[in-house]
Amino acid sequence: MTASSNVTVERRDGVAVIYTQGYINNQAGEEVARVAYTLIDEGYKTLLINLGGTTIVNSIGISILIVIIEKMIEIDGRLAFCSLTPTIEKTFHIMGLAQYAPIYSDETAALATLRG
Amino acid sequence: MSLPLPGPGSDPAAEAAPWAGLLELARQESADPLLLRRLVELWARASGARAVALYLEQGGLLRREVALGDGFPSVLDREDLGDGAVPLPGGALVVDPPAAAANGAAAELTLLLGVVATNRRLRQQIKTERFQVNYRIVELEALYDVGLAVAGTLDRERLAEEVLLRAISLLDARRAALYLIDDGHYRLDRAFGGEAAAELAVGDPGLVRFLAGEGPAPPELLPEAKYVIGVPIQVESGPRGVLAVGDKETRRGLAPFPEGDRRILVLFANQAALALENVRLHQQAIETERLEREMELAAEIQRLILPTGAPPVPGYALHGWNRPARQVGGDYFDLLTLSDERLVLTVGDVSGKGVPAALMVSTLHSALRLLLDRFPPGPELVERLSAHVLDSSAPNKFITLLLAELDPPRGALRYVNAGHNPGLLLRAGGAVEMLNACGLPVGLIPGSRYQARSVELRPGDLLCLYSDGITECLSPDDEEFGSERLACLLAADRDLPLPELVERIDRATTLFAAGRPQADDQTLVLLRRNAA
Repeated sequence: MTASSNVTVERRDGVAVIYTQGYINNQAGEEVARVAYTLIDEGYKTLLINLGGTTIVNSIGISILIVIIEKMIEIDGRLAFCSLTPTIEKTFHIMGLAQYAPIYSDETAALATLRG
Repeated sequence: MSLPLPGPGSDPAAEAAPWAGLLELARQESADPLLLRRLVELWARASGARAVALYLEQGGLLRREVALGDGFPSVLDREDLGDGAVPLPGGALVVDPPAAAANGAAAELTLLLGVVATNRRLRQQIKTERFQVNYRIVELEALYDVGLAVAGTLDRERLAEEVLLRAISLLDARRAALYLIDDGHYRLDRAFGGEAAAELAVGDPGLVRFLAGEGPAPPELLPEAKYVIGVPIQVESGPRGVLAVGDKETRRGLAPFPEGDRRILVLFANQAALALENVRLHQQAIETERLEREMELAAEIQRLILPTGAPPVPGYALHGWNRPARQVGGDYFDLLTLSDERLVLTVGDVSGKGVPAALMVSTLHSALRLLLDRFPPGPELVERLSAHVLDSSAPNKFITLLLAELDPPRGALRYVNAGHNPGLLLRAGGAVEMLNACGLPVGLIPGSRYQARSVELRPGDLLCLYSDGITECLSPDDEEFGSERLACLLAADRDLPLPELVERIDRATTLFAAGRPQADDQTLVLLRRNAA
């Protein structure tokens, strides 16, 4: 098991999907934020973060995700998460992320709602 | 610096009513950045500054919050502020040109900016504290969840993975390793974020001090990790493993783990210990159940090898009985009528007990039956059997055997005793004769030779073949039941139906043992020639 993480993006009909792999910590969190801000600069106002490849998130990773959520609120955009492990989903609910960014079971369900 | 200050071409509504909307923005928590920007814009216009930036204190530094104009660094030290900076509670305005007039409306706006900046700082502080409180809840939930796993998770792999990942997440660690005890060593179960030692010695003094929080981590534990804490995974009956985490992350890089983290890790490891122990016991129970099923199957196979009833022999009563000390045993008996109506009786005892002995019983049974097809039950058969057993068994394994052939009408009994307990022949008149050994146990040494002996069974005579589990049954005082007691019992109840006589003997040995568990397999074969 390694701590390495990487982030990729797919742009799909007005929704940018950010895929994460591995441990969302300080380093990976910053990478997600960098990608998200680039997408915002490109004009995307709807972001979906697919955490299907992530089994672990720490408090710093969460605090960075909160900053991204705040940024999306600031620009009147939308951010959602999908494909979370039960542990990460529970953590997001406790930490309040789920109040501002809906959580979907999978990408198909998320895109159907975000595009609707 | 050049300032894009509001002026001709700016929003006419804002120009007309610069305060419009400020109150509404002040009511919205998320609108603080916008409110501050609007106030800075008004301040710049009132003071005549060409460029201005608002800095707010954060983590001991001044961070740029609003900049009207270029060239303002994102972070400043207090010492970097020039004389022209306008101090605010928890921040400052950096102005170009320096010391632009902060009087009149600008002075009032400075006060207002101070209030809003303070408000923003307090909101940030509340947010940070709320975050910390929520993360404490996440920690408690993690402890609770692992506690729940005690009852809910019986998948060892999943549980170990969960324990490791949660420990990393809880303590913002970059690396971790989980060790579980195996054969007196802590063996690496899994690691995260880098290499970890494959094995740790349980009693190593350095490791013991480290796990007690009184010494540094063994360097091989998480090589190249800068900061490491570790705790034992322990249950009441002893150590079960080690959980170690390394390199705590902060926004500014790696940091040592504070003492509170060690307490959390101890609590977490205690919960993990219960969960892992529960899984271990469950796996142990499954393995025991599997072995029991296999033993039951072996016992069933052995029950099929031993006769379930006696063949009818005109003019005689015949009965055989066996009870192994364990589920399967090393005693053997057979009651077989040949095609010419002669009766073959066999009683054997394999050295040792349990499964190895049972396997040899199976070998004995197959070999004996095959040999009986080709040879008469006499010395040559026993010699061939001995050679076969010697070839097909482990060294120092042997079988004592008494093989007898009866010609029922004549009462002629010819037997070979290969190192077995002497059979007892109770004559109708009360005398007791012994069918003594006339050779070594089979399978003991190569080239064993045997002799046959003969006796005549007359009407009323009773023959008893038995294994040493009967005569060597021990009392609580370590006294043996002995062949004399057996002979007396046989003599006293010689006319009983043979199954009842076996019950009497069983009851007598059980009473003699007085609660002491049966130590050896027990076998009896009784043959009585009907009285004339």
